[in-house]
Amino acid sequence: MLKICIIIIFTQGLISAQSIKPNNFFVPENRKSFGHYLYCEKDYLRSVAELREFLKTESDDTLRFQIAKALQNLGKYSESADNFKTLFFSSLREEAKTEYFRSKYQTGNLSDFNFNTKINSYLPNNNLNQISQLTAVSMLLYEDGKIDSHQLMNEFPDSLKPPLKNFYLRKIDPGFKSPTSAAIMSAIIPGMGKIYADEVGDGITAFLAVGLLSFLAYDNFRADHDFRAWLFTGLAAYFYAGNIYGSAAAAQYYNAGIRFNFKNDVEVFINRQNLFLSDYDFWCR
Amino acid sequence: MKSSIKIFLLLTIYLKIVLPQTDLHMQFDYAKTLYDEESYFDAVTEFKRLAYFDSSKIFSFPSNFYIGSSYKYGGFFDNAITYFKRAEINSNIDDEKYEAEIEIIKTNLLRGTFEQALVLLKNLEMNIKSTQQLDDINYWRGWTYMLSDEWGSAAQHFARIDYNHPLKLLCSNVEDDKYSVTFAKLISYILPGFGQFYTGEYLSGLMSLGWNVLWGYVTLESFAEDRVFDGIAVGSLLWLRFYRGNIQNAEKFAKQKNIEIAAKALEYLNSKYQGIKP
Amino acid sequence: MIKSFMIFIFFSVIIFSQVETERWGKAEVNYVNFIKHNNHAAKSHSNGIFSYIRDFYGFTFSDLDGDNCPFYPSCSVFFVESVEQTNLFKGALMFADRFTRDSNILKSLKVYPRYSSGKYYDPVVNYTLDNSKIIYLHHEKIYDE
Repeated sequence: MLKICIIIIFTQGLISAQSIKPNNFFVPENRKSFGHYLYCEKDYLRSVAELREFLKTESDDTLRFQIAKALQNLGKYSESADNFKTLFFSSLREEAKTEYFRSKYQTGNLSDFNFNTKINSYLPNNNLNQISQLTAVSMLLYEDGKIDSHQLMNEFPDSLKPPLKNFYLRKIDPGFKSPTSAAIMSAIIPGMGKIYADEVGDGITAFLAVGLLSFLAYDNFRADHDFRAWLFTGLAAYFYAGNIYGSAAAAQYYNAGIRFNFKNDVEVFINRQNLFLSDYDFWCR
Repeated sequence: MKSSIKIFLLLTIYLKIVLPQTDLHMQFDYAKTLYDEESYFDAVTEFKRLAYFDSSKIFSFPSNFYIGSSYKYGGFFDNAITYFKRAEINSNIDDEKYEAEIEIIKTNLLRGTFEQALVLLKNLEMNIKSTQQLDDINYWRGWTYMLSDEWGSAAQHFARIDYNHPLKLLCSNVEDDKYSVTFAKLISYILPGFGQFYTGEYLSGLMSLGWNVLWGYVTLESFAEDRVFDGIAVGSLLWLRFYRGNIQNAEKFAKQKNIEIAAKALEYLNSKYQGIKP
Repeated sequence: MIKSFMIFIFFSVIIFSQVETERWGKAEVNYVNFIKHNNHAAKSHSNGIFSYIRDFYGFTFSDLDGDNCPFYPSCSVFFVESVEQTNLFKGALMFADRFTRDSNILKSLKVYPRYSSGKYYDPVVNYTLDNSKIIYLHHEKIYDE
């Protein structure tokens, strides 16, 4: 008996001494607990690797959910969405579906997001309201989509209706300035198109420059200084044309500003509403 | 029966004390091998694993220290400093604490937070134990000044270690080679183009001199011929413009040359210098 | 005391934590980067006949008559870049427009976005009349390439 035990102990020691890494730390259970620890330390990349090692030997839906969540935290949204999708028939299907839409939304591909909200079997039962809210608000971010004010408002509580109405009005009438009108205005009175496109200083400068050059041309024609007269005529024409071009460009840039600010405001609104409230911190308490 | 109890006890003691310890040592060796092979990402993983299973905290210092080191080599300087700080807190002896503090300073240098490094060096200087440590502090001060492009101060600090310290000689050379931006501007005020000559840009200097002579001549001639309007126009729009430009150009060249000189010295530190580097 | 210290440690970890999203290897350290950072020398990255004209213009005039342009890119560079991105005719019109902006007497009243060298940032792409290329610049931000 004693002999056998000594042999066992001896061989155990020998085996563990010979192997490069200690087997004890790399058994599935330990990989799992280490993976949990890394997740809570916010070292998601290593956590995913550890948990995946564990899943090679055993199946655990909660862990697969945790991996998908870690990928989401790493900003790998499409990979994360794919991982959540595999959990649609598990016990965590409700949470997985909600998180799936969160990841899909985060990828920034809104048409893909909206396409997925139309597939019934993808939709969760209890968080449906959040997803339809997000669908409604994301319609505001489409470049050119028709938007139904009722559909936009109905999903939200009364307190949020005024800002949403404001967004809706800004969406249907953004207040764009037409580049063509700006160009035509500048063709009639130099600089007017610039003032129309909210570049007042540039407009006044352009008016003064073209006016001064024209006056100099006129003055020199009157005094029979032909060369100087034609030189100033050329310059006046050059700045006149340049101003027409510049007015159209300024109107375009003004519109770009409107689009940027609208998109920015909607995104700030969405983030502030924090539509996905649930966070799964039950691993790290 | 008695003997089997004895064996049981022996086995428990063996498994509880001896085995975990060997496991930890093995894990340390494994992680250290990865670290030595420069696969720093995996080294971080394994040292973190070591720290996690090391419930008795005997490896707290080395694991945190090597995690910090690995992050430092990987360019994750913020993380490196976090772990060096943990190592410093978990240090058992003064030497370990000192080692971690020096590493924090070195990482600050690599991160480019020189102000922070100087503050830490000053704190470290207050409780030094030996002249060797004082030399170390001056050495890293020198490095801080070198990397923040203050070669004169760097030379002073290296000279405190040894007047003929190789880095002291390097810094003094750089300081001597550098052009004085003030002098380049000053001489350009007096003689247009000469600031560029001073920095070795003879063609630009000649061009500058030429423009200034030309517009100066035109201006003065206009005044001499009582064409005051022309004189003022040429003088303010052209002569003054090129006169001011000549000074700015000289300043630009002097600064550019100084950057080239410093870059050459730093390149030497990169590739050829054999001493301890951050 | 210990508690506050622990809180400090906790926050220092949160604040300074750099997220690793991919496996990484050894990073090379180059000390030269520390001073090259502050160097905003004009970069010449285009080829063709215009770059010769620009270099000649730069050497004979523009480098020597001082730093007169409040914009980045400077007016001459703006002209060359706009011709390269569009054509000679359009580029000339864009240059006239830029010249108006440069001589704008009320320029100081407008809040321009800044470039890292401290100049007003006014890139060519926003004036090519190509809607998809326009980058809207935020006036509180400082831009760099």
